[in-house]
Amino acid sequence: MSRSLSRQAGYGLSVLSFLLGLVLWELMVGWFDVPSFLFPAPSAIFEVYFTADVDWLRHTLATLRTALTGFTIGVVFGFALAVVITLSHVLSRMIMPYVVALQVLPKVAIAPILYIMLGFTNTSRVILIVILTFFPIVINVSTGLATVDRNLVHLLQSLGAGRFSVFYKVRLPNSLPYFFDGLRIAVSGALVGAIVAEFVSSSEGLGFLILNSQYTFNTTAAFGAFVILTALGLALYGSVVFLGWRVMPWNERA
Amino acid sequence: MAGDAVERARMSQPDVVTMTGIGKRYSTAKGDDVTALTDVSLSVRDQETLAIVGPSGCGKSTLLRLIAGVDHQTEGTIQRDSPDGGFVVGYIFQESSLMPWRSVYDNVRLPLEVVGRSDPEAIDELIRMVGMQDFEKAYPIELSGGMQRRVSLARAFVHKPSIVLMDEPFTGVDEFTKEGLQHELSRMIRELGATAMLVTHDIEEAVFLSDRVLIMSPRPGRILAEVVVELPKERDPSMRSSIKFFDAAREVRERVLEIHQVGQADPAV
Repeated sequence: MSRSLSRQAGYGLSVLSFLLGLVLWELMVGWFDVPSFLFPAPSAIFEVYFTADVDWLRHTLATLRTALTGFTIGVVFGFALAVVITLSHVLSRMIMPYVVALQVLPKVAIAPILYIMLGFTNTSRVILIVILTFFPIVINVSTGLATVDRNLVHLLQSLGAGRFSVFYKVRLPNSLPYFFDGLRIAVSGALVGAIVAEFVSSSEGLGFLILNSQYTFNTTAAFGAFVILTALGLALYGSVVFLGWRVMPWNERA
Repeated sequence: MAGDAVERARMSQPDVVTMTGIGKRYSTAKGDDVTALTDVSLSVRDQETLAIVGPSGCGKSTLLRLIAGVDHQTEGTIQRDSPDGGFVVGYIFQESSLMPWRSVYDNVRLPLEVVGRSDPEAIDELIRMVGMQDFEKAYPIELSGGMQRRVSLARAFVHKPSIVLMDEPFTGVDEFTKEGLQHELSRMIRELGATAMLVTHDIEEAVFLSDRVLIMSPRPGRILAEVVVELPKERDPSMRSSIKFFDAAREVRERVLEIHQVGQADPAV
C-alpha cells in the first residue's frame, strides 16, 4: 500500500476490492454456466437463506453455544493453570511436560476418540474446544506472569511487599496483554473445534449442516454456512480486540 | 569558622546507612562461584548524596540492592538508621520502570500504597515538583521518555524515604534531556532534604549530583578512593563549567585511571 494513502482511502480501497471480487465471481459463474453444486454464485448463496429447508438460526446458535461454552471453560482453566505454574516451581516442572506434549499434538486428531471416551454428547464437543482454547491461554498467560520488569519487583520488595502483593500488583496486570493475545488465538480455535466436533458426530450445528450438504450435493447451502462462519469468526475476534482496547487503554499494542 | 561549624553539625548527625566489611558471593547458573563485592565499608550521612563510580559489573547495583534489603550480603553488616524510625528506600532505576497500566498519579502513589499510607498532599506536591500536574491522568505510553523519567523521580521521593537509591538513573537518555533531569533531581534532593546514594559509570553525573564520590575497583568490587566535591549544596547547570567541577571530575578520573593501571599490572587485584 502506498505510504501517501490516507486511512479512509485505505479502507475504501479494501471495500471496493471486495465488492469487485463479488461482481467478478457472479459474472464468471454466469458466463461459464458453472453448475451451482460445483461453485454457486453470490446471488445463489444469498437466496439459499430463504429457499433452502434449513433452520439457519438453530444451527448457528448450536455451533455458537458449543464454541462459547468450550471457550469459556478453556480460558478459565488455562488461566488458573498458568497461575499455578507461575507460583510453584515444583508444580511447573511437573506439569510442563504434559502441556508441551499435548501442545505439539494436532489436537483435532483426538476428536473421533473423544466420542468413544466421553460418549456421543455435547460434552465431548465442548471438551475438544476446551483442549483447543486452553493451550494458547496457558502459554501466553504464564509468559506474561513471568516476564515482568525486575525493577518493579525490587521496588515493591524494598518497601516490604510480599509475594502475593507482587503477584497482584505487578504480575497480574503485566499478564493482561499476553492474555488478550491468547484470547485472539483461542477464539479462532473455538470455532475450528466446534466445526470439527460437529463433523465427527452431531445432529445440528453449522458443521453438521456442511457435512449434510456434502451428502446431498447442496454446495450452495454449504457456502451459506461458510458465510455465517466467517461472520461469526469476525464478530468473535472483533469482540476480543474491542474488549482488549476497553480493558487496556494503556497498552502500546492496542 | 561558620562553614566548619556547619560541617561539624552535619558530621555529628547519625549516618543513615553504615556498611561494614560487606562481601557478596553468589553461584552462577553454571555453578561457578563469583565474588561480586569484597570488604566494602562505607557510610552515607544524613542529607548527603554519596556517589559510587566504577566500571560495569563491579557490583555497584548489588550494593544498592543490599541496602534496599532485596538481596543479602554473605559477609559483613549493614546498619540502617532513620531519624523517624522506619527505614524505607526510594528507588530510581536505569529505566523509568513505571507501571504501564497505571496513570501518572497512580504510579507516583505506588510506594505510599505499598507501605500502607495515604498522603495525597505529598503526591500532589511531588507531581508539581516534576512539572507533571497537567498529565496526572495520562498513561506512561502517552508520555515522552523524559516525562516518564520525571514521573519516576516523583515516585522515588513521595513516601519520604530514609534514602533514595539511584542505579545509573539516566542511562540511555539523550544528553540535553539528561542534564535537565540531573538538575531537577539535585534540586529535589536539596529541597526535600533527602539522603541519596548514586551508582554510575558517568563521572560528570557523579560529580554534579553528589557531595562525595567513592571509586570502586572492577570485580570483585571494593572501595579504593574517595573524592570530596567542593561545590555548594545548591547545584545549577552553570557549575558544569566551573573550575571546582573540573577539578573534582579530573580527580575522580585520575583515581579511576590509577586503579585501572594497578589492575593491569597486577591481575590479582
